Amino acid sequence: MSRGLGRLAVVGALWRLGFAEAVAYRASLAVWILTTTFPLVSLALWAGIARAGGPVGGYGEADFVAYFVAAFMVRQLTASWVVWDLERQIRLGELSVYLLRPVPPVLHHAVTNLAALPVRLLLALPLAAVVLVAAGGLAVAGDPVVLLLLPPALVGAWLLNFTIQVAVACLAFWWQRSATLFEIWTCLFVVLSGYAVPTSLFPGALARVVVWLPFHAILGFPVELLLGRLDRGEALQFLGLQWLWLGLFTAIAALVWRRGVRAYGAFGA
Amino acid sequence: MGVRTTARIVGAQLRLSCLEALAYRVGFWSDGVVGVLWGAIGVIPLLVAIEHRPDVAGWSAWELMLLSGLFMVVSGIFSGFLQPALRASMEHIRRGSLDYLLLRPVSPLVLCLVADFAPWSGLEIIAGISLCVVSLAKLGVSPSFAELGLAAAVFAAGIIALYALGIMALALSFRALRLQNLTDFMETLLDFARWPTSAFSGPLKAFFTFVIPFAVMTTRPAEGLLGRLDVSSAAVAVTTSLVLMSLAWILWRRSLRLYTSASS
Repeated sequence: MSRGLGRLAVVGALWRLGFAEAVAYRASLAVWILTTTFPLVSLALWAGIARAGGPVGGYGEADFVAYFVAAFMVRQLTASWVVWDLERQIRLGELSVYLLRPVPPVLHHAVTNLAALPVRLLLALPLAAVVLVAAGGLAVAGDPVVLLLLPPALVGAWLLNFTIQVAVACLAFWWQRSATLFEIWTCLFVVLSGYAVPTSLFPGALARVVVWLPFHAILGFPVELLLGRLDRGEALQFLGLQWLWLGLFTAIAALVWRRGVRAYGAFGA
Repeated sequence: MGVRTTARIVGAQLRLSCLEALAYRVGFWSDGVVGVLWGAIGVIPLLVAIEHRPDVAGWSAWELMLLSGLFMVVSGIFSGFLQPALRASMEHIRRGSLDYLLLRPVSPLVLCLVADFAPWSGLEIIAGISLCVVSLAKLGVSPSFAELGLAAAVFAAGIIALYALGIMALALSFRALRLQNLTDFMETLLDFARWPTSAFSGPLKAFFTFVIPFAVMTTRPAEGLLGRLDVSSAAVAVTTSLVLMSLAWILWRRSLRLYTSASS
């Protein structure tokens, strides 16, 4: 069998493994999805504020509904949890087993994380649909060119989220509890990415600054793209920015991983 | 089992956890600093709302800060006392090592609820109390003893409600394994305790008043401190939390019978 085909078979097997895990622990996955319903509660809150006193900075009641349902779905589509798994494997030495296998450990994580996506969507879509039907529909971008940019934006968002998590997890080679760092990252993410509140509602200068940060590239950008809040020029510009961040974090992750594996070997693990 | 035995067990576990916390200083960052940081960053959405509106559901800026202070106290209690204990107990249930707890001559529920503590989260509680004091000073409000007493009573009921929810999560984990993340779900939802329950409408308002009663945990105590809480609302809040605790107790008793240890 050629090398390429062999790799493909391995990826297929990993996919089935990840899928089986997601199905086996579906109660656990369902709770994770519940945990990500955070935007749906924010939705109720902000839609209520808009209903009580008129639009808030360009967002009426229906706009808030569309925004937070989109945020919920984008979060589902771009979710990964590699930082927890990889950090634990490094800390407890379980990584040794994975290093012996013919598949790079990072690829293993990428495929098993991706494989849970269909199950995730199956559980999350009905929830989003119910909210949308109750609220009266979602207005997406009218410009087909902008919509065409959505798939690369989503892929970029998933990859960016994944790469950052790998980079942080790899710090565990030197600093055992690197997941703590990711918790701080998550704190900042919730507020600065547009997950808790659309970033365009921030006071002037802050709103202009946060859109350049990687948080916004992971969530706020794809959401605003989907809702048609960006014109062609802006969309292309933010897509470029997103992939620029991706390049930077991929380089960092690759560097930390390579150095880390060497340091890991030095422990005699 | 006497109250004294229970108190001694709680004291011993607290001492152990404190020693451990001092030995492994990483908790200072993961529990203490992250907690305080989250408390501070989480205020931003409230600030955004205040930026666009004079008030949120009748709450002014510093009144919202008072609410945030109370939220930080509740959140500190959750992540310092309840969450670590739940995680440790769920791990016992999953591995079957709950046997060792069940064999001891003390109520298993008490042992589960003191299984582990994260003392550094105390920083968040201290920060929360400071925020409350600053907010009250800024508002120029000084609660009378009666108002303080009422607020404290409702707040205590709120903590009982929080523990009731924790016990329910623990009981559920007998049925479905790998439900440690239920505590993460609680943590996420808890964040909405920053907002006055009156900002929500319809079913969600009822949900946060009676099912996951953030009203009892933060909104009502804050109203109490501001002198806006009447006795009937306070009575409803206390009743809500007592009903939740009774339900939790029943669920716990039924679930414990399902436990089959590691070998059987």
